[in-house]
Amino acid sequence: MATRILRNMLNRNPSILLKRWKNSDRDVTVYDPFQKLEKNKEAYLEVIKIFEGRDKRRRGHVEFIYAALARMKEFGVQKDLEVYKALVDVLPKGKFIPTNIFQAEFMHYPKQQQCAVDLLEQMEDNGVMPDTEMEQMLLNIFGRRGIPLRKYWRMMYWMPKFKNLSPWYLPEQLPNDTLELAKLAIERITSVDPGTKIVIWQTEEIEASIDKTWIVSAQSEAQKVLLAEQPVDDPLIVKGPYTVYLRDQTVTYFLLIGKTRPEFKDDTDPDDVSNIEKPPGIPGFIGSTKLPATKCTVHEQDDGTIVSVCATGTSSRDSLLSWIRLLEQNGNPSLSSTPVIFTLIAPPNDITLHEPQQTTEDTNSEKQLGTN
Amino acid sequence: MNVSRHLCVFRHHNVSKNIYKKFRSSSINYQSTQSAQPRVVDEKFDFEDLKVLERAERRKAKIRPFMKDIFVSVYNKDLLAYPEILNKEESEALDARIDVLDKTFSDPEKSKDDRSRVLKGTRMYGAPAPLTNNGLASNSTELIRYLEIISTDINLGLEISDHWVGLEILKKGLLDEHYQQIITDVTSGEHSIVLAIKEKIAERITQADFRTTAELDGQNVWRITGEKICNKTNGYFLVLCCIEGSRLRAYLVHPGADGVSYKDGVVEFKKTTATPLSEISEQALAQTLGLSRLHAATLCRTTLKRAMHSCVEYVQPRVFSGKPLSELSTIRATIGEALLNVYAAESAEYFTAGLIDGYLEPDAELEMAMCRNFIANNGLATMLKLLNIPALEKAEECERLLNDMRHLATYGENLDSVNMFIALNGIHHAGKMMSEEIKQIRNPVLHPGFLFKKALANRKQEKDDPTLDLFLAEHLHPSLRPPAEQLEYCVLRIKYACETLMSRHGMKVATAYTELSRLAEATTEILVMSAVLARASRAYCIGLRNAELEMKLAASFVSKTKDKVRKLILEIDDGEYLNLDHFKISFGKKVLETNSVIVEKPTARVFW
Repeated sequence: MATRILRNMLNRNPSILLKRWKNSDRDVTVYDPFQKLEKNKEAYLEVIKIFEGRDKRRRGHVEFIYAALARMKEFGVQKDLEVYKALVDVLPKGKFIPTNIFQAEFMHYPKQQQCAVDLLEQMEDNGVMPDTEMEQMLLNIFGRRGIPLRKYWRMMYWMPKFKNLSPWYLPEQLPNDTLELAKLAIERITSVDPGTKIVIWQTEEIEASIDKTWIVSAQSEAQKVLLAEQPVDDPLIVKGPYTVYLRDQTVTYFLLIGKTRPEFKDDTDPDDVSNIEKPPGIPGFIGSTKLPATKCTVHEQDDGTIVSVCATGTSSRDSLLSWIRLLEQNGNPSLSSTPVIFTLIAPPNDITLHEPQQTTEDTNSEKQLGTN
Repeated sequence: MNVSRHLCVFRHHNVSKNIYKKFRSSSINYQSTQSAQPRVVDEKFDFEDLKVLERAERRKAKIRPFMKDIFVSVYNKDLLAYPEILNKEESEALDARIDVLDKTFSDPEKSKDDRSRVLKGTRMYGAPAPLTNNGLASNSTELIRYLEIISTDINLGLEISDHWVGLEILKKGLLDEHYQQIITDVTSGEHSIVLAIKEKIAERITQADFRTTAELDGQNVWRITGEKICNKTNGYFLVLCCIEGSRLRAYLVHPGADGVSYKDGVVEFKKTTATPLSEISEQALAQTLGLSRLHAATLCRTTLKRAMHSCVEYVQPRVFSGKPLSELSTIRATIGEALLNVYAAESAEYFTAGLIDGYLEPDAELEMAMCRNFIANNGLATMLKLLNIPALEKAEECERLLNDMRHLATYGENLDSVNMFIALNGIHHAGKMMSEEIKQIRNPVLHPGFLFKKALANRKQEKDDPTLDLFLAEHLHPSLRPPAEQLEYCVLRIKYACETLMSRHGMKVATAYTELSRLAEATTEILVMSAVLARASRAYCIGLRNAELEMKLAASFVSKTKDKVRKLILEIDDGEYLNLDHFKISFGKKVLETNSVIVEKPTARVFW
């Protein structure tokens, strides 16, 4: 008998409760209040306000919240704490707080609690950190034994710890301008050498250039020297495009790579201390009279010496050619005599960084052509 | 009765001998070696020209380098007898000259010209030159005494210190005939010799650390090109150049030579003709130039002494709460500490000068660097404490004194490079003697027996309680036994520290800079402790005035310093994680990369 009951229990689908919610979800969200609106934060908040004012009992608030959560990205508010708080505020205060231990233990108002947890989950996925006001709101809604509170507390334990863990600082709001974004990306890449200088050039400076765009180029003094010391008959290589992520945005960049000096070979026995090198001991004389002719800077990697880095507005071959010319004009005269090979892995069109200004200008010029 | 006593003694004869051996509590360890006995070198007479009568030097036989041996815990106990270099006549002549100098230099009314005139009058510009060249043939001990007086005027002190070192190098570096041609002009005092060694730190990765070069032109004349950090604009320049890529050689540039220009503390040479000092080897050059470190130490010490006097002058007439200000125990303690440092530095300087003057072929480059290291390290800190007393009321004088001290402490080279020189030379010496052991320690699997033996031998060292078997106390006055034992402890720990360092890093020990600088500091303190103990013991034994105070000074200095050394060596033993070096280095790295304080303000928040 007992085994039969057990088998019965095991055979039954465990997520039957969840399923029921999902079904009800679908049933109720036939009417979508978010349709046919201008998609911005104000409109979004307005809809929430309308919902709150429409019905005193706020019927269907769970469904409303799920619908609202699903639409966030559309309105571009998925990273906005204020919006999440407005959504939480939709839930009625006091009603869901358990009043005895049974209610507390057996998940009082499970659907509503699950809804709040899902909301918090979405916040977490989007990296939005709740604040103490939200805690107060959740407390007023679910009481301190509520599951959403537990979720909130866990979030507040981990999220602050992860928030600033990346060694490369990024501003809260990433810039929309691709040039600024590219600058941030190049700054991050070149942080290995604090002496790196980042410059922005316009390809207009090169008369022969076809692509009129910008170039963010980075080179340190050490790299200039390494470039000047490259053998003239060995070609330099432009490699790329490579991708660097800034949160959810990507920037493509290119490297100018030369030959690496030979590795320092140390044949001495590390255990034999019978002849440790000592300084000559002349007061005021430090260091040596010679320079090391072996690999010793951070720019010299196993696959080559990185002598410069850049990101361009169009990532096209032509803009890279302009980059090389601009490098030559700005303190790297040896580039005029050294051959440069372009080994671009993917066709450059696919990886174009989209620049809105550029495209509007292009369409304008096309229109003009059309009229002519 | 007698018979029984005799029998008893006879019976226990061997037993007592054994105990005697075991505990070694007697002065049987005192061995007065033949080498330590004074040996008179015959006066040199040149019978062909009887007018030439050079100063006789009474040097003892060559000894092993003192401080280098300390790195392997070998202590030359003969040196605990403080060196006495000057005989009666020399001492009197010295005092007479000092009197003349002192009259002018202690008088604040006298102008700079008066002072230079006195220097010329007393033949100070030729002090180390031979008697036959109208010099004084002074040795290092005498030079330090002169310098103490001259250093009332810091600039003159620095000038003459450079000049003396330059003269030594000329003597060794030029052929005799050339030397005779030039020496009268150099010692006249019209143009002093300026040392031009230090260069700016390179600004590009293609620049070598040392860039001044000398080349032979078509007419077989040496021409030098490069820049040097130097505060003097005229005079003879003694320029260190590199030739043929890697070798170093000193060159003499005469006053008024072409292609010398001066700008913002940097002298630039452009194809300037120069006389090569080719007779002196690189090593001898380093040793002779090292003398400037000893002089810098003396200058530092006298500056500290001046600050002490200035402080006392300030305190004496003032009162606080109706009582003399001088009754405040904090003020007394600060001045007492300054005296301790002055006393210690002075002992170390004369001790080192004694090593240079008293033995044949002296190797005292480490000792000279240590003198400088000690006073530069402690002097600035003590100076700050001292100047804290009259800070508000004598701001101008305080500023001048502090600036003098800072200038002297970093004159010609900074503390780090002195530290590295000391430590690397020491560890080089220790490495030579301990290489076999280190090889075995670093390959323990190949030498299990040795490892076991080493663990047994080092067990007391690891407990920070080495067996004191050097018996230094037997070479000092008996009442200095406790400080002598503290010194002995320090000496014995050094070898262990070297062994730890070398077995930890192997050949890479040469780049373990933070730990090496600790080693350098510890050994520096040992030299100073030895000098202080030797001096106090000598003073007390011959009954100098205030000798009992010296004994107390010595005892308190040693016990204070022992703790410092103990801590330094424990830190070496602990390694980079426990002594926090690893973390400090990483913090420094971050700051150097970002040039900011990195951390957020204490009011910053992550969430609201």
